[in-house]
Parts: sequence; structure tokens; C-alpha cells
Amino acid sequence: MANGWSLLIGLLFIVVFSAVSWFASPKGDNQTVWRSTLILSAWSCYLMWAITFLAQWHPLIAPKRSDLRPEFVHHEGPRFF
Amino acid sequence: MAPHKDTLFRSADMSLTQLYIANEIGREVVSALGELGIMAFRDLNSETSAFQRTFTQEIRRLDNVERQLRYFQQQMEKSNIPMRSLYEFDNNLAAPSASEIDELADRSHALEQRIQSLNDSYETLKKRETELTEWRWVLREAGGFFDRARGQTEEIRQSIEEDDAPLLRDVEQHGQNGEPTGDRSFSVMNIGFVAGVIPRERIAAFERILWRTLRGNLYMNQSEIPEPIINPENNEEINKNVFVIFAHGKEIINKIRKISESLGADIYNVDENSELRRDQIQEVNTRLGDLANVLGNTKRTLDAELTQIGRSLAAWMIIIKKEKAVYQTLNRFSYDQQRKTLIAEAWCPTNSLGLIKSTLQDVNDRAGLSVPTIVNQIKTSKTPPTYVKTNKFTLGFQTIIDAYGTAKYTEVNPGLPTIVTFPFLFAVMFGDFGHGFIMTCAAVAMIYFEKPLSRGKQDELFSMAFFGRYIMLMMGIFSMYTGLIYCDAFSKELALFPSMWEVPDFKANETVEFIRKEGYTYPFGMDWRWHDTENDLLFSNSYKMKLSILLGWAHMTYSLCLSYINARHFKSPIDIFANFIPGMVFFQSIFGYLVFTIIYKWSIDWYAIGKSPPGLLNMLIYMFLQPGTVEEELYPGQAGVQVFLLLAAVVCVPIMLFLKPFYLRWEHNRARAMGYRGIGENTHVSTLDDDDEEPQGMNGNNHRQSMGSDEGGALITQDIGGGDGDEHEEFEFSEVMIHQVIHTIEFCLNCVSHTASYLRLWALSLAHQQLSIVLWSMTLANAFSFTGATGVFAIFFFFVVWFFLTIAVLVVMEGTSAMLHSLRLHWVEAMSKHFIGEGVPFEPFSFETMLEEEMAELK
Repeated sequence: MANGWSLLIGLLFIVVFSAVSWFASPKGDNQTVWRSTLILSAWSCYLMWAITFLAQWHPLIAPKRSDLRPEFVHHEGPRFF
Repeated sequence: MAPHKDTLFRSADMSLTQLYIANEIGREVVSALGELGIMAFRDLNSETSAFQRTFTQEIRRLDNVERQLRYFQQQMEKSNIPMRSLYEFDNNLAAPSASEIDELADRSHALEQRIQSLNDSYETLKKRETELTEWRWVLREAGGFFDRARGQTEEIRQSIEEDDAPLLRDVEQHGQNGEPTGDRSFSVMNIGFVAGVIPRERIAAFERILWRTLRGNLYMNQSEIPEPIINPENNEEINKNVFVIFAHGKEIINKIRKISESLGADIYNVDENSELRRDQIQEVNTRLGDLANVLGNTKRTLDAELTQIGRSLAAWMIIIKKEKAVYQTLNRFSYDQQRKTLIAEAWCPTNSLGLIKSTLQDVNDRAGLSVPTIVNQIKTSKTPPTYVKTNKFTLGFQTIIDAYGTAKYTEVNPGLPTIVTFPFLFAVMFGDFGHGFIMTCAAVAMIYFEKPLSRGKQDELFSMAFFGRYIMLMMGIFSMYTGLIYCDAFSKELALFPSMWEVPDFKANETVEFIRKEGYTYPFGMDWRWHDTENDLLFSNSYKMKLSILLGWAHMTYSLCLSYINARHFKSPIDIFANFIPGMVFFQSIFGYLVFTIIYKWSIDWYAIGKSPPGLLNMLIYMFLQPGTVEEELYPGQAGVQVFLLLAAVVCVPIMLFLKPFYLRWEHNRARAMGYRGIGENTHVSTLDDDDEEPQGMNGNNHRQSMGSDEGGALITQDIGGGDGDEHEEFEFSEVMIHQVIHTIEFCLNCVSHTASYLRLWALSLAHQQLSIVLWSMTLANAFSFTGATGVFAIFFFFVVWFFLTIAVLVVMEGTSAMLHSLRLHWVEAMSKHFIGEGVPFEPFSFETMLEEEMAELK
């Protein structure tokens, strides 16, 4: 579901979001604040997400545990989505 | 009118204006401008002392009224009468008229006298009451001593008569007559006594002194008064003791009196005869009763009076404070005797000129004056003050920047990006969904109850948090986001998506290594399967370290770009070519390259292509130590690229060092050759030239003198000459060179140290995460091992402990430390890249800010 293309799709999404925030920011005294805050937030969040994604893209080590008991392990694990 | 709007991006355009105000409406004009709060008046009389100014009389009168009002407030506090709150006056910002002020002054004067006389009589009565109460206690307690003493007289007498000093006694017997309180039975024996009341803490000292001075020739009795005595002067309660001292001889009795008076004791008349004493007690009681009656009446009148005052005291205070501020501002104006006009100079935002003019027109119309108030814009070479218009959301962030320094006039204001970068860098260190949620809730609550909270009294810590409530909101929201990225909520994992790791089949007590799902990467944040694994730290340390470097690089590059915008705005292309571009090349060829290699290494599947991943740290070190040799190859052609980048960085250093100083010297020499000279170099004749070199106060000096002697017409043209005031300072090559050398060395070293400094993001987020894991495993994790009814209580108990420690340690303490680190990253690492500073803060004359500062006590 998620692979290397996610980075580019995410980037595209952020670019679109930035463009929309630039034009859709409420006009008036605070327009600059709206624009700068929305766009900077979007890029900061994207940067953080992308770095985390990259770090796990081709991981060099795999998680290890020795305190697991076979009868309790669900191989799929819990999930919300 | 300026073409663009005032935004947070840079400080507002300012104009120096000159106002000509008719003397009659000076007060009204200033008052109206105070309501607007956008003009900073310059002091045109700085050489005159406060007493010589025009409106000193008025200010003195208002000071007196203010003192009277404060006196009322003190009296009300003393008798616990609540004051009607400031916020109940719907119209508390309306400007008062002159007659209102006079009326108020008269009224408060009359009221003061009334309150004072009431107070005086109340205090006298109260004092009388205290004395009577003390006397009653003395009478009551002393009676007990006398009754006891009487039984012992015989023994005492015998013991005395056995003594071999009868002659002495005869002599003293005559002297004893003057003592009125002595009773027959005692006076026979020549024994006198002193009775009184003394504060309890002095009793030990009192005894000791008496014992020493009289060498033990006394008999002292004392008892504690069970209820405290109230001192009428300061309403304090004092515990006191009743004492009766019997001693031998008049001299000694007098000495005792003196000692007791000097120690603050009150001495009362007591009759030894028990019947007389009973009468005395009765008399005292009736007098006390009468007094209580009178006292009650006085107190009621006083309270009623004060309550009446309390209804409008806050409003009076505001009126007087405003009026005083108006006159203080008027004192900064210069007064033209012949034309009966006031002349003022003020800085104001250029965009607000229209508003100011219309306000002045309104005041004029209301006063019905035919002479208009003239607003004149003057061209000047003086540095305008830096004014950044904020609202309640941006105020906190702007304060962070202003705490470091005032930005130069119209330079890029770092406050704008700080709205995001400050809370975001905080969140990188504070990343935990749960803790972020708590912080967001706290901030939302403070914002929701903004009004009642801002009106209530706040202690120091809370008022700080309240001031930064919008910062906290942003910090909380970003912390929730980074918490999701780190996959931490109260140190537990959040399994939002299916993991990219699968658990293979294994036997119990066997170390399992998870297996990667082919072609699937965990889509959002850290994979939750890393939680509680043995090599969790190995992975997350490497990840967070690189994250810190990448974010730091991004933040610093962003800040460096702002210096480009500054250079363009101030139209100094030399700053772009000699500082910005070489600086950027230097920074990017070393740390930009590091960032590139980090990302490149992540994006290659090293096991799939069958190579071992190279270490980036060694690569960077060998890039400097042995340029041209690469031990473990990251990508083909690496050696050449690295040599090129290194050369580029090295070449940038001399460019940064020499280009700007030599360019400036060339420019200076060329100007000289063409015959231009700096104004400051040769002219000390005109009054214009010292405008730039001397502080503001002296400028006012010049105007003032010219105003006193010349006509007003000279004023208008006065500042026009100084339009191109940038080159006033004499060019000194060595100074420029030294400045540039310092800048270059600092920049190059800082590139290294600042990048390293961003590693604090990793260190603090690691500490935060580990601390919350420890807290969980020490409290709630233990509770889950209990079963049955104990389990219920244990879980409840440990939950309470865990929750409070989470709030106190993880949210408040850790939050404060992360905030301070984020603050440092902004002040030092980011702002050093572009911030010029050197600005003068804009301090407009505004009733609102003045009242905010002064009315804290009225809340």
C-alpha cells in the first residue's frame, strides 16, 4: 500500500495544499499570518513524515524481541484501519 | 499613503509628523489620540526639568487627587469593603471633560476630609476601648494576686521582721506615703506594687531586666490574657500578659515603672481594696459598653461612606490616570507663545495617517473651533521606530522575538515564521500524543475562559502560561502530530495501520527477529512493532539523530534565505554577493551535502544490491582529512563530487572575508574622487548635522531652540536636508574589515556548531520518551500484576500517582525544558543567520497600554 511513490504523492498533496492556502486565506489584516502559518505548518509536517518514511523505507535492522510467548502473538497484530 | 498593508512580515512604515494644535483644544486632542494609541510623541523639552514644564501645576493637582483615591482604596482594603470591578463600567474608556475633572477633584477632597475625620475619631475610640479592655483584665487578674497575697502577708511580714534591718524599714516608711495604690496591709510593710499589661513575647526580657536591675528584690506575678488584644493602629492581634510586681521602697517602684514603660508595657491603676476594685470593674464595664455603642455607629457611617465611594472608585482612578497621562504628554509639546499653539512631533504608522487626521477633525468639530489642527509629514533621516502590529494570537510569538532584540526598521520580522517553527521544534522534542493532548486541552481551556481569567488575579507562573496560551495551543497540536509520528501515546504504541513487520513462528523464550513484509512500508510515522523491542533504541537513535540534522538544516537554510530578502529590501547588493551567496554555498556544500547523503543512503536498498551500507560519519570526516579518497563508496563518482564541494566551500571563505570591505572602500574612494563628502565631515555650522550622531533627546533640543527664537515656518523645512542620511558616518576601512573578519569566522564556525546544536532535538526527544516509559513501568505496569479486590485499589492508586507525575514531570517540567531549548534554537541558531536588530521599539501613547500596566491592582 505504501511504497516509494508515497513520498511524491505526499509532496504533490502538500504543494496543492500550499497553493490552496495561499489563495483561500481570509483576506484582511491577518492574511499574511494565515498564509505563512498554514504553508509552513504543512511543509514542516511533511518534512517530518517524509523523514520518518524514508528511515523505514529500506531499514537496515529488523526489530528483535525475546519476551514474546507464541500463544499470545497475533501475527497480524492489532490495528485501527 | 503607502501602497502595501502593514503585516507581520516586516515592521510598519512610519512617518514623523508634526502637529499644530490650538491651545484651547490641546487636552481634547491628546486625549483622543490616547484612545487611538498609535502615536509616539517625541519629547521636545528634554532639557527642561520636570518642574519647569508648562503643565506641572495640573499634574501636581492630579497627583494629589490620585493620592486621595489611593487613600480611599487603602481604607477600603483595611475594612474589607469590596470595590466595584473595573469591568462593570460599560463606558470606562470615555474621555472626561475638564469640568468633570474639577468636580471630581473637589469631591474627592471633601470625601478625603470626611473619611479622615471619621477615621481619626474611630481610631481614638478604638484606642480608648483597648485601654479599657486591658484595664479590665488587669483589675480582674490582679484581684486574684491580691487575694492570694493577702493570705501570705503574715508570713511575709514575719520573714521580714526576722531580718535584721528594722532601722532601714523605719526610714522608708515615710517615703512610702506618696504611693496611692498601696493598701494598708502592704503599706504597713512598706511594700508597693505596679500592675499593668505587657506583650507576651517581651515578658522574658522584662523579667530578666527587672531581676538584674533590682538584684532580685521583687515579687512578680503574671498571668496570660486568654484572648488577644487588637492594636487599633494596624489591626494586628497581640497576645499580652497581665503582671503585678511587688517591691520594697519608692525608688524601686519608680524604677520598675520606668523599666516597664520603656519595654512597652501599659501600667494601670489598681486598688488593693477588693470593694473599690469591684466598683472600678463595674465602671470600666459601663464605659466599655458606651464606647462599643459609639464605635459601632462610627464604623457604620465610615463603612457606608466607603461603600458609596467604592461604587465608582475604579472609574475615578481611570479618569484621573488618563488625565494625568494627557498632561504628561502635553508637557512634551512645545508651546508657541505668540500664536497660542502647541507644536508636537510624533511617530506614527504611515497607514494610520488618515485615521489620525479624521480623529483630529472630529475633535475640532466638536469643539467648534475654526482653526484646524494641522498634521504635517516631515522628511527626516532619523531612524524610525520599529512597530509590528500584533493581535492576541501573534502577540506571544512576537514577544519571544522582542525579548531577544528589537528588529531593525522594516527588516524581515522573524516573528512570522516563529509562529510555526517554535512550536514545531518544541514538538519534535516533546513528541507524545497523550502529553500533547493534555497541553492542547489546557490551552483550549485558557482560550475559552479568556475573559474571566484575564480579569481575575493571577500568580506569576499561571500568568506566564496564560500569556502564552496561543503558543501552548500550537505546541500542543504539533506535539500530538509528532506523537503520532513517533507512535507514542503516554509511552504506549498506537497501532494505526498494519505493521510492516511480521512475527515468524517461534518457540517460547526464543529471540524472534521480525520479518519485513515485501514491498510495504509503514505509511505514517514509526512502525508500532518497534515498541518494547530489544533493538528499539538502536533504530530510533539513528532515525532521530538524522531527523535532527535534517530539520536543523532546513531551519537554518530558511533563516539564511531571510538574509537575502533583507539585503534586497535594504538595496545593498553587496550583501547578496559578498555575504549571502558565499555563505549559502559554504553551508550547502558541507551540510547540504550531508543532508543529501543521508537521504540518498535511506533511499537505496543496500541488501538488495548486495553492498554493505557505508558509514556517513566516516565519510564526512574523510571528506576533509583525505579529500579525493573514498573508502566505502556511496555512489559512483563520489570522490570527484566531494573534492569539488570542498573546494567550493574553501573558495567562499576569502570571498566572504574580502569582497565586502574592498568593495565599500572602492565605492567610498570613487565618491570622494567625484567630489562628494559626507555631511558630518566638514559642517559643524548648521543645526542639522548632528541629528544622526546624537541621541534622540538632543534632536529635540535643536527644535526647541529654533522654536523659541524663530517663527514656526522654519520648523517645517528643518528636517528636509537630512534625506540621504546613510553615509553620515565616516568611512573607516579597518573597522569594516575587522567587522567582516569577525562575521566570516563566526559564520563558518557557527555552521558546524549550530548543526551540531540541533542534535538537542534528538537528545530531548529521547529523554522524554525514556522518562515516560520509566514512569509507566514504575507505576501502572506494577498495578496490573495485582488481582482481585487489591487489583482494583492498586490500579486506582497507581493511576492517580501516574497521572499526577505525568502532568507535573512530563508535561510541565519536560515541557518547560523543551520550550527553553526551542527558544534557544530560535534565538541563536536561526536568528544569527539573518537578524540585524538595532531597532528602536515603538512605544505609542496609548491609554489602553497605560491602564493595563497601572491598573493591575484594581482587578
